Amino acid sequence: MERLTRGLTWLLGRAERLLVAPGRRQWIEAVRAETEQVPAGWAQLSWLAGGLWLVFREANMARKIGYWLGVGAVAVIAAWTAWLSLRTTPASDAEAITDRFRILVGLTALVGLPWLARRHGVFGPVGPGVLARFMRIAGCGAVCGVGLLIVHLDRSSQGNGLGTGGFSPVQEFAGLAALAAAVVAPYAVRARWPQAEREKTWGIAACVATTALVLIPLQAIPVAYLMLIMAATSRRSPVRSTTLIAGAIGGLAYFLSLFATPIVDNGFLILMIIVVSTLLCTTLGGAGAAWLMTSTGTGSTGGAEDLRAARVRQGMYAGIAAGAIGGLALALSISFFGISMALGPLVGVVGGRLGGALAADHLPKRRSRDRSVSFGLYISD
Amino acid sequence: MPPRVSFSTQTLAVLSALTDEPSSWRHGYDLAKETSLKSGTLYPILLRLADRGLVEACWEDEQPVGRPRRHLYRLTSDGLAAATDALAAEAAKRRTTAPRVSPRLAGES
Repeated sequence: MERLTRGLTWLLGRAERLLVAPGRRQWIEAVRAETEQVPAGWAQLSWLAGGLWLVFREANMARKIGYWLGVGAVAVIAAWTAWLSLRTTPASDAEAITDRFRILVGLTALVGLPWLARRHGVFGPVGPGVLARFMRIAGCGAVCGVGLLIVHLDRSSQGNGLGTGGFSPVQEFAGLAALAAAVVAPYAVRARWPQAEREKTWGIAACVATTALVLIPLQAIPVAYLMLIMAATSRRSPVRSTTLIAGAIGGLAYFLSLFATPIVDNGFLILMIIVVSTLLCTTLGGAGAAWLMTSTGTGSTGGAEDLRAARVRQGMYAGIAAGAIGGLALALSISFFGISMALGPLVGVVGGRLGGALAADHLPKRRSRDRSVSFGLYISD
Repeated sequence: MPPRVSFSTQTLAVLSALTDEPSSWRHGYDLAKETSLKSGTLYPILLRLADRGLVEACWEDEQPVGRPRRHLYRLTSDGLAAATDALAAEAAKRRTTAPRVSPRLAGES
């Protein structure tokens, strides 16, 4: 028993130094300082275990463990995809080489974007909340899942794969160059012409991205999704948690509405159904995000016009999120890759802005409540 | 309108212990014995109360012989006001929710 107590005391001291922020360590030291006053035996062990629990809470261990388990799961899906692709021979699947190239691009984006994030902060590190962490893990996992599905479908399609057939190095490398240019374009334009208008900068990037989308759709879309996910869930992201929630609800509605729609044998009608359904659901998401936004924390000067602009902006973010989430869900469930994944966020820009503007102009303003909830303590005005 | 404050049962127990002698410093094990709370419950409560400015904490000034210095706690003036209000509200709530005994049953016992 004495050995166990000494071991726990040592562990508590180590955990305190390794895991707890310097400003909070005095609380763990306080537990250790009192240990000798507690009667030896189980009572002392229980006292030290309470100290370890305090370390666990203060170091946000549950959140960190959950996040890194999620990162591990994403890595497993990515490795599985790569393994499945490497097992496929070009003789049995004409798309095998193309799929390997797709996987290489996807994995590079998955590893490279967080690395880029460290330098520029646009894509990370991940935000402090549980929601941002969950969205990042679930989103990256779903994109890897789409990659896995593409490889699986190509393997089992007996030559009638998703792409055009064999590997075309010219097309792949030209598309890849366009994709890299689309990622770099905003930085390059800003560096060369610092006074350039924001719309023009993003317009140039969008044009280059569209070229990449036409050349290599199944590489460009996952990379664009990974960029969206990381940008929306990064610490410096302008997307609010409530916007992510509204977007997720809109995306779920989009997915369910299309999932429940009976199959029709008319391409134009299918496209119309998808566009209308996406527009309606992303408008719903945009309106929800704008309504959930209160005047606090908008970053605006407090003017009515500023607040309206901020609401419309959050509506647009929610619309994009709704389109992307619904698109990903549809791609994973009914293999609607190109149309649902590409159209979702694009229509979401329009739907989200529309919903945001409608909510900002017509819905009653939500009153903000200044409150906070913490361990065993609840305070509100 | 002054802020409405309500606390969990465990937090109320800690506040009650600290309110007994508001000017004197108490240490963790002493509070744990009085409230019957485990260290894993007591310290997070003290920590949050300190974060809210309701409790102040400090280390013992001098190094005592034969044991490490202790971390000490007491209520701040805001904490004392909040604790007094919350304990009074809790007592009032208990009075209103206490089961009423009918005169007949009271007579039988």
